[in-house]
Amino acid sequence: MSKLPVDVGIIYEGERIRKANMYADLAGPKSKGAELLKVVAASKVKDGSVTVIGPDLKDMKEGSAYPFGVSIEVSGKKLEEDLEGVFERRIHDFMNYIQGMMHLNSRDIIWCRISKEANKAGLGLNHVGQAMVDLFKAEFDVIEKIQVTFYTDDKKIDKFLKDARAAYEKRDAKVRGLKDEDVDTFYGCLLCQSFAPKHVCTITPSRTSSCGSITWFEGRAAVKVDPKGPIFAVEKGEVIDLEKGEYSGINEMTVERSNGEVERVYLHSLFDYPHTSCGCFEAIGFYIPEVDGIGVVHRDFRGVTPFGIPFSTMAGQVGGGVQSEGFQGMAIEYMRSSKFFAADGGWQRTVWMPKALKDRIGNDIPEDVRDKIATEEEATDLDSLKAFLKEKNHPVVARWKEAVQASADGGIAVSQFEMPVAGVPMAGGGMTIIFKNAKIYAEKVIIKRNDK
Amino acid sequence: MIIAVSGKGGTGKTVVASFLVKILSKEGDLLAIDADPDANLADTLGIETKKTIGTVREELMRDRDKLPPTQSWRQKLEYDVMGATIETDTFDLLVMGRPEGQGCYCPLNHVLREIIDTVAKNYDFVIIDAEAGLEHLSRRTTQDVDVMLVVTDPSKRGVTTAQRIKELAEHLEINFKGLYLIANRTTKESEKKMSDYAKEVGLEVIGTIPEDEKVRKFDFEGRPLIEIEDSKALNAVEKIVKKLVKQ
Repeated sequence: MSKLPVDVGIIYEGERIRKANMYADLAGPKSKGAELLKVVAASKVKDGSVTVIGPDLKDMKEGSAYPFGVSIEVSGKKLEEDLEGVFERRIHDFMNYIQGMMHLNSRDIIWCRISKEANKAGLGLNHVGQAMVDLFKAEFDVIEKIQVTFYTDDKKIDKFLKDARAAYEKRDAKVRGLKDEDVDTFYGCLLCQSFAPKHVCTITPSRTSSCGSITWFEGRAAVKVDPKGPIFAVEKGEVIDLEKGEYSGINEMTVERSNGEVERVYLHSLFDYPHTSCGCFEAIGFYIPEVDGIGVVHRDFRGVTPFGIPFSTMAGQVGGGVQSEGFQGMAIEYMRSSKFFAADGGWQRTVWMPKALKDRIGNDIPEDVRDKIATEEEATDLDSLKAFLKEKNHPVVARWKEAVQASADGGIAVSQFEMPVAGVPMAGGGMTIIFKNAKIYAEKVIIKRNDK
Repeated sequence: MIIAVSGKGGTGKTVVASFLVKILSKEGDLLAIDADPDANLADTLGIETKKTIGTVREELMRDRDKLPPTQSWRQKLEYDVMGATIETDTFDLLVMGRPEGQGCYCPLNHVLREIIDTVAKNYDFVIIDAEAGLEHLSRRTTQDVDVMLVVTDPSKRGVTTAQRIKELAEHLEINFKGLYLIANRTTKESEKKMSDYAKEVGLEVIGTIPEDEKVRKFDFEGRPLIEIEDSKALNAVEKIVKKLVKQ
């Protein structure tokens, strides 16, 4: 580590510099700025060099705000573009290690501050750059060469900002496409166990936490901040069923964290072993047997679903950490996932949602079904929903025909093509029978106790 | 040192908190937290509120799915909390604002508390104007309090309230090293009585504040209490501070 006029170390993380003790504001709400780390060719990097374009700290006017651009370029044989984001997030940590320097957030919404003491000690941006060079090299062996450029000039920073934003966009597009199969680690969250003691939330690239707050990236960030906290890492283990989203690691974790109450979880299905629901999910996905389709209702919707019940009533039945087949508390963001109830047909089987929700998801709904999904404006009950779907020739209508066909072939009258009957023998000789969308007509039903 | 000032509305809790800010901001870096949506600490400190933490949280709740996927809302919240901090030459102020609306705020509140805990470590003194229900303290602000001061009017009922606040704090797992009673608007005879009442239930009166004409005048005219120089009430709070800091 090079010699700096101030200390550098992890103990300075979390240091806030008060305005009363501030020498200069860099970027932040009163100015502009960004940080960008790029992997470039070795020939383009002058290892260890630090360049300042614009005034250095000592030339700044005390108490003022200046633009602040941080450009870090690295090279190395084993480096890939995918690592840029991971490395870039460390700028936040490393700058905070510097005594008398504060760094908040990331990308183009950063805010740095230099303390009066640091300025008095003679801290310059060349030192900050040197600290970046040393810390990045110490932390990542794969970085062979690194150079740092700071922009503090009000005009010259603009091109850098533009380039940085273009780079973020490219990166975001890639991240949006990240799927469960692209990573080995998922995250679990127990924040809701005070309300739903058996509930554990599984967070994957394709499944945001049910409350909508914790994405896979957020989970990763949380674990880094507090590895022993309510959000924890889970190795996904063996893939049991990719489509349904069943993983050995998730099953094991769920058994453990739900105190043995829940043994299997399908991350991307409403049936058999759906994900449990806390109490604070943003929306509920629900199966509508009468039309063999899926509806989604969100918390803000005050009207009634085609079932004739509002969100609140449904939420009361679904929540509390139990698996309720055909129902699932979920994040609105989950509707943007490529695995949105994928095992059940996803969007091709989605038939109803409130208009406000449909507007919110907008273009993320596949175009071919967008207009075929009813809202409360077209369907307020099952009959009007059925009529609407038929009129629009929603993909589920084809399933009805298959069912009718099956019935015509001499089967019982059901409107669903598949009708699995799950019988789970339980201790004490009991059993659970689940009929999915079954219509059973009988003159008389006698249920007798079996006395052996 | 984190000092939470609690008590029912109308007991003079915010007067005590304002004077604590006035006195202790001369002794070191100080953060004041207005955690009682029904009180007006910002107002008595002579500060115009811009953004509350509540607003920041609502905006995040509303817009979080519009954030780019590589932007962590945790870090954004940290940035926004800093942005909502009102910075004066002598102290900083965070206004917590209204409790949340619909939806699940557990993760947001959890992170918010982590952030405020981190921020609080940067100050020599943190003064929290807490509501009697202690909701903000337990869920959104901090659970670690060094001293809990319960302000009460001179009445036996006031002591009972203090006792309830103590129980509530224990129930909410708010960790405090000491909990003391401050009897406000006392007269000579009620002073002695209050101390006896408190003793009966195992509470200690750390100080009493006499009825103060100046405070009443400032309150009536809507002037910031922090501008009061040399008054009976201010002197009384100074005495309390001496006792607290000595411990």
